[in-house]
Amino acid sequence: MKQFPRSHFILSLSIVVIVALTLYLLGGCTKKDETTRNHMTGTRKNPIKYRLKWLYNASFAGDIWAREKGVFRAHGLTVKLLEGGAEQDAIKDLELGRVQFGVASADQVIRAVSEGADVLVLAQIFQKNPLQWIYNQKRLTINRPQDLKGLTIGITYGGNDESIMRALLKAYGIPTDSLTLYAVHYDYNPFWKGEVDLWPVYRNTEGIILQKKMQKANWKAGFFIPDRFGIRFVANSLITSGRIYREQPALVKEFTQAVIEGWQAAMDPANLATAARIVHRFDTDTPLAIIKQQLTSTRTFVTPEGKWPMGRIDRAAWAQTLGIMSSQGLIKREIKLAPLLAGPPP
Amino acid sequence: MGIFKRLLQFASIFFTGLAILWIIKYAYSFSDYLIPPPAELLQVATSYWKIYLAAVVNTTAVAIAGHFSAILLATLVAFLGRSGSVIGNLTRTAAYNLQAYPIVAVAPIIFLFLGDGLASRLLIAAMICYFPLLLSFIGIFSEPVDQVEHFFRTTGRINWRLELAIRTFENLDKITTVIVGSGTMAIVGTIVAEFLAATNGIGYTIRKALYQSNLAKILVALFLIGLFSSLYLSLIEYIGGRIKMRLMGG
Amino acid sequence: MRLVCDNLYYRYPGTDTPVFKGLSFGIDRPGFISLFGFSGIGKSTLARIISGEIPPDKGRVDVETTGQILYSHNAERFPGWESTGHHLERVCDYGKRDLLAHLIEEYAVAPYLHSRYSGLSMGQKNRMNLIRYLVQDFGILIADEVLANVDEPTRNHILAGIKELLADRIFLYISHNALEVARFSRLVLVLPQNPEEGHTAIRIIDGLDEGTGQRTYEERTLQDRVYQLLRAASGMKT
Repeated sequence: MKQFPRSHFILSLSIVVIVALTLYLLGGCTKKDETTRNHMTGTRKNPIKYRLKWLYNASFAGDIWAREKGVFRAHGLTVKLLEGGAEQDAIKDLELGRVQFGVASADQVIRAVSEGADVLVLAQIFQKNPLQWIYNQKRLTINRPQDLKGLTIGITYGGNDESIMRALLKAYGIPTDSLTLYAVHYDYNPFWKGEVDLWPVYRNTEGIILQKKMQKANWKAGFFIPDRFGIRFVANSLITSGRIYREQPALVKEFTQAVIEGWQAAMDPANLATAARIVHRFDTDTPLAIIKQQLTSTRTFVTPEGKWPMGRIDRAAWAQTLGIMSSQGLIKREIKLAPLLAGPPP
Repeated sequence: MGIFKRLLQFASIFFTGLAILWIIKYAYSFSDYLIPPPAELLQVATSYWKIYLAAVVNTTAVAIAGHFSAILLATLVAFLGRSGSVIGNLTRTAAYNLQAYPIVAVAPIIFLFLGDGLASRLLIAAMICYFPLLLSFIGIFSEPVDQVEHFFRTTGRINWRLELAIRTFENLDKITTVIVGSGTMAIVGTIVAEFLAATNGIGYTIRKALYQSNLAKILVALFLIGLFSSLYLSLIEYIGGRIKMRLMGG
Repeated sequence: MRLVCDNLYYRYPGTDTPVFKGLSFGIDRPGFISLFGFSGIGKSTLARIISGEIPPDKGRVDVETTGQILYSHNAERFPGWESTGHHLERVCDYGKRDLLAHLIEEYAVAPYLHSRYSGLSMGQKNRMNLIRYLVQDFGILIADEVLANVDEPTRNHILAGIKELLADRIFLYISHNALEVARFSRLVLVLPQNPEEGHTAIRIIDGLDEGTGQRTYEERTLQDRVYQLLRAASGMKT
C-alpha cells in the first residue's frame, strides 16, 4: 500500500483544523447577531454585553455603578460587564457581534473608522485625558514643556502617550533629540532607579498609588499635565456600532442614558463611600481607601466644566485628537468627525 | 525533515490561514480595521520589511544564544544530577521543583535585577527552553546503556567522560528531537520576554502593533517568525544529522 | 587458583522466590569449566554474583587468582562512534598486541575491522566481543552465551583454541548446548531445574575435556555424557 507522506498528513490536518475554526467563528458571528435581534434589551441568559477598555478599576466606576445599583435594570436592560485589557478591543468585539456596547479611547475609534469600522461615539466619559507624567519634584522642576529638555521621558511606543508627547514636543518646537525617550513597560523599576525622569501614568488610578509610594520613599510626586499646555487628546468614550444605532435606537438611547446616570451617581461626592465599595467588589486588589482617592481624582476628569452635562462630546478636543493623529501619520485616510460623534439617538 | 520541505509546509499553512482570513473578511464584509485587505498587507510588508526583518534577526540571534546557553546549562546540571549521590538527588529535586514556576511569574524578578535589555531576554529565552532540555538530559544521562557500558565497567575502564559519550551517542536521535523542540520554545521565550519588557526584537514590535490594533503588522511579524523558526529548526536537524552521520562513519 | 562459592542465597529485588538457597561449590584448578542448566535457572545471576556485579543476600565468594574476574555476555555492543578495529586496539591490554593480531586472524574477523559494530552480523559480533575480552588481563573469564550466534564448526574451533589459550586460567563457559559443554569442559557445573527443598544443590559432572585436534573418546561416551547432563539439569538422579 502506498504510504501517505507525513508532511501531507500534517498539512491536511492543519487545513482541517483551520477550516473547523473558521466555521466555528462564522457560526459564532451569526449566532451573536441573532441574539441581539431577538433580545433587544437583554435577558439573564442573553444579556447586553458591554466591553470596558481596561481591567476593572475606578475609571469604570459609572459603568459598575449602573450595573450594580440597578440603573441598567431601571432602564429595562440586562447588562453584563466584560473586563478589558491589552488584548481586548471593544471595536473589534462590536464588529464581530460579540458585544453591543463598549468603551474605547478616541485614538482607537479614529484609527478604526479610518479603516472602515462601523462605529459611533455615544458619549465622552472622560472630559480630560487622565494620562499624565509623574516625576519627583524634589529632583526636578517642570513648569513648562521646555523644561523637559535633557530629561529621560518614558513613553509606551505605539500607545496614545507616545502620540500625546510627540504632539506636545511638536507644538512647542522641542526637538526629539533634545531629550531621551524611554520605552516603558508595566514595571516601574527604571523610574524608581532614577533611570527615567518622567513616567506616564493614569493620574486617577496608578497615579494615586505611585504618589503614595513616593511619599513613603520621601519623594514628592509632581505631575506633568499635557492638557494644561493645550494638548487635548480624548480618552475613554462610550461606543456602539452603526448598525445597532440604526436598528435599535431605543436600546442605544436607554443604554447611553443608563451609563450617564451611572456616572452621575458614582461621581456624586455624597455617594463616594458606596461607589468605592462597589468598585472594590470588582477591583479587590486595591484597598478601599485608595479607591476612594481614585474616585475623587476620577471626578475631576469626568465632570465637564461649566454647565455641560456628564458625557458631553467635546468636539474641539476630538478635532485636535484627529489632527494629532493625522499629522503623525497614524491614520490611513482622513475622516469626518461629525457623523462619528453621533451622541445618543434623539 | 528537509529544509525546503519544512519551509514549504510552513508557507502552505501560513498562506492557507491568510486565505481563510480574507474569505471571512469578504464574506462578512468585515472592516479593514478588523482584518486588513491584501493590498494593505502588501503595503505594510513592503514598507516595514526591513525593520521587521532586523527585529526578527535580532530575536532569532537572542533565541539561539539563549538556546545554546540552556543546552550547556542543562548538560551541566543533568551531568551533576545523573548520579545517585546527595548532590545528584538534590540537583534533580531542585530541577523538578523549579520548573513548576511559570516564567511569566519569575520574569518581574529578572527584569528587576537585569533591566529590560539583552540580558533579561537571553535569560528568559534560556529558562523557557532549559527545563524540557534538563528533564530529558537527566533522563538520558542517568539511564545506563548497559550493553555498551558493561565492558568498560567490568574491565575498570569506565570514567565520567566515557559514560557521558556513550549515553549521548546512544540517545542522539532523542537529543536532537529535544533540542529541536526546545529551539521552538527558545524563540517563543524570547518573543514573550520582548513582549513583556524588552525594547528590541519582534516581540516588542508585535506589542507596538497591538497597541495600534494593526493586524497587518502582526501578520508580517508572524510570517517572519515562522520563516526564521523553520530555518533555525531545520538547521539544528541538519547539524544533528551531520553529527550522527560523521560519528556513524557515514 | 581457586574459586569457591559458599552457601549463597539470592533472590531478585521485589520477589519472594529465591534463585539460590545455600548454593555451594568449589573449583581448585584452572581450565575450561562450564556452567550448564536450562533457561531461567539462574546461570547468569550466578555469573554476576561471582564476578562481583551483584552481591549475594547471604554467603560468600572466595577467589584466589592472579588477575581480575571478567564477565561477558552476548548482548554487549561496541560504542557506535568508532570502527571495531579501532575499538579493539584501544581496549587491548598492554602486552597483548600479538595475541590480538592472532585472534583477529584465527576468528576470521580481519575484513570487518573498518566496520562499525552495528554493521556486523550476529556471529561476527559474538567473535569481536569475545576477542576484546580475551585481550584483557584476567584470572577468571566468565563467558555467558558469548558464541550463541556462531556456527557450530567455527564455535568448536574457537572453544578448542580457548582451552589452549586459557590453560592457566579459569574459563567459566555458560551455555545451553549440552553437546559442546560435554565435549570441551573439564568440569561441568549443573544447576538443576528442581532444586531440592531447603537448598540449591549444584551437581559437578566431569566433561570429556577435548582439546585441539584430539578426540580420545567414543561417540557412545559423548552421548552418555550429554544425557547425564540433561538428566542432572532436569533434576533427575544421574
